Amino acid sequence: MDRRPTLLSSCARAATAAEARFRVNYPNSRTRASRIVALDPDAASMVGRIAGQAWNGAHFLSYQETSSADPLDPDAILRSADGTESRLSDELDGADVAVMIATAGRVPEGAAIIGRACSIRGIMTAGLVMGDGNALDDAVTALRPYASVLVVSPDEDYVPQMLVALRA
Amino acid sequence: MLRQEVNELLTQTGPGTPMAELFRQYWIPALLAEELPENDCPQVRVKLLSERLIAFRDSEGRYGLMDEFCAHRGVSLWFGRNEESGLRCAYHGWKYDVTGQCIDVPSEPAESGFNAKIKLASYPLVKVGDVLWTHMGDPEARPPLPEWEFARLPSEQTFTSKRWEECNWLQALEGGIDSSHVSWLHSGGLMNDPLFRGSKGNEYNLADRRPFFEVVDSDGGLFIGARREAEEGHYYWRITPWVMPSFTMIPPRADHPVHGHFWVPIDDENCWVYSYDYHPTRALSGDEVQAMKDGHGVHCEYVPGTYRPLQNKDNDYLMDRDSQKRGENFSGIRGIAMQDASLQESMGPIVDRTKENLVSTDNGIIMARQKLKKAVIALRDKGETPPGVDPAHHRVRSASVVLPKDAAFIDASREALTAVPGVKQTSV
Repeated sequence: MDRRPTLLSSCARAATAAEARFRVNYPNSRTRASRIVALDPDAASMVGRIAGQAWNGAHFLSYQETSSADPLDPDAILRSADGTESRLSDELDGADVAVMIATAGRVPEGAAIIGRACSIRGIMTAGLVMGDGNALDDAVTALRPYASVLVVSPDEDYVPQMLVALRA
Repeated sequence: MLRQEVNELLTQTGPGTPMAELFRQYWIPALLAEELPENDCPQVRVKLLSERLIAFRDSEGRYGLMDEFCAHRGVSLWFGRNEESGLRCAYHGWKYDVTGQCIDVPSEPAESGFNAKIKLASYPLVKVGDVLWTHMGDPEARPPLPEWEFARLPSEQTFTSKRWEECNWLQALEGGIDSSHVSWLHSGGLMNDPLFRGSKGNEYNLADRRPFFEVVDSDGGLFIGARREAEEGHYYWRITPWVMPSFTMIPPRADHPVHGHFWVPIDDENCWVYSYDYHPTRALSGDEVQAMKDGHGVHCEYVPGTYRPLQNKDNDYLMDRDSQKRGENFSGIRGIAMQDASLQESMGPIVDRTKENLVSTDNGIIMARQKLKKAVIALRDKGETPPGVDPAHHRVRSASVVLPKDAAFIDASREALTAVPGVKQTSV
């Protein structure tokens, strides 16, 4: 086949540190609308601690109860750190990502409702199960079908790190 | 995204940096054993963690790794003579043994003992498998030798190559943790590569391009499970272990040899990629070894006489747009190794992670960074030994399995993820 010399326009020049200075410098993404939802009381405490840090508009919420189990229109009541209650359907309106957080030893009942509601709306999901050992099983099993990624970690520090990485 | 200060913490590996101190806790690959094939063979220049070193094998077969430059006038010892149990500088004949100790200064009377006062910095160099390993940290805290399965098997069961990658070690490593690119970038390889093709797992891979991921902490690092739809009620899982600081293993396909990588910083803008292939229970076939030498699978072809890939950034990796158009490979670059390297190098020598837009399926990468950061800080502030130093952490394997949908991959695959001598890999 025809192999043309590339040299001056090739990666040999384009991938140098000097050329990196000429990468277009601009904000290449808009602010994400992130919803961080604790699925049990221990997770709610954790989320409450994290909510006080500086974020890019993320909403920190905890699941309270299911208000509609209709598979086509699932809904739930959520509560924010200041005690204000809101509907899941309202929170997901315009949301980009929903991060569900559960702790070991609990059955996160809200996972299915939130997961289905996100699926209907095409919203990216992530699940975090905090803790280790056999007590994780219930939480992991409940979240698995509804999270495009499921992270199991004993390290609470991971939650804010992940949220920073996701630009929450 | 990653804050700039954390990016710098994780990517800077020169002397005195916290990440260099982390790497110095481990035995790391310094060069392939084939580079020093016999006693008194030519010495080899080695750059590791931004230090210029020279490796040689003396008349008794002892390996040495030390400062490249003679203590006298700063001449490179690469120009010296490897003879009679030492490396002699070509300029004035000063001679060093494998520990860096000067054993002869010809201009001074032997009885003066002057040579005893001269010693080059040196590190141990030990052959385990096809690799010469070094530990560049505190000799008092030197861990036991590595026990990676690829390095502990009989030579006929294992094959290791290395290649120069022209970017920072971390973005290369992150490619090994990022399982979601396989169905795209390497889709051609799954169909064509002799070391990949022909497995049932490939069919699952290609049929479901939106895998779900689970990331689980392990003693040495992480297990990253990627699941795809399989038969009714089942998932196909591909499980990748990452062991700190930079070992990853690709999940196997059928009875092909299993393979993976070890990334080692040369300096902040270059790294060595050690790529291994092995089979736990049988010798590699002649065809398999030939395919590896020909650059298939995770290996590559070389610029003759070097460890630089034949496809490199000077020739745009021999981009073949016609092949890309025909669908033989996704990116137009031939070979799995160079498909990865071409994209990782295109990011620039050290990618600016403040600009990236990660998504939830990037959690394996996010968690690896978090664990590296924690380990670096714990070592720096409290002297804590990081994960991956203990040889028990080396006894891991990747696996590919089909499991019922309600099974937790980490529990159902625990045995499959442990390297046990004489036991075959778990593969679909």
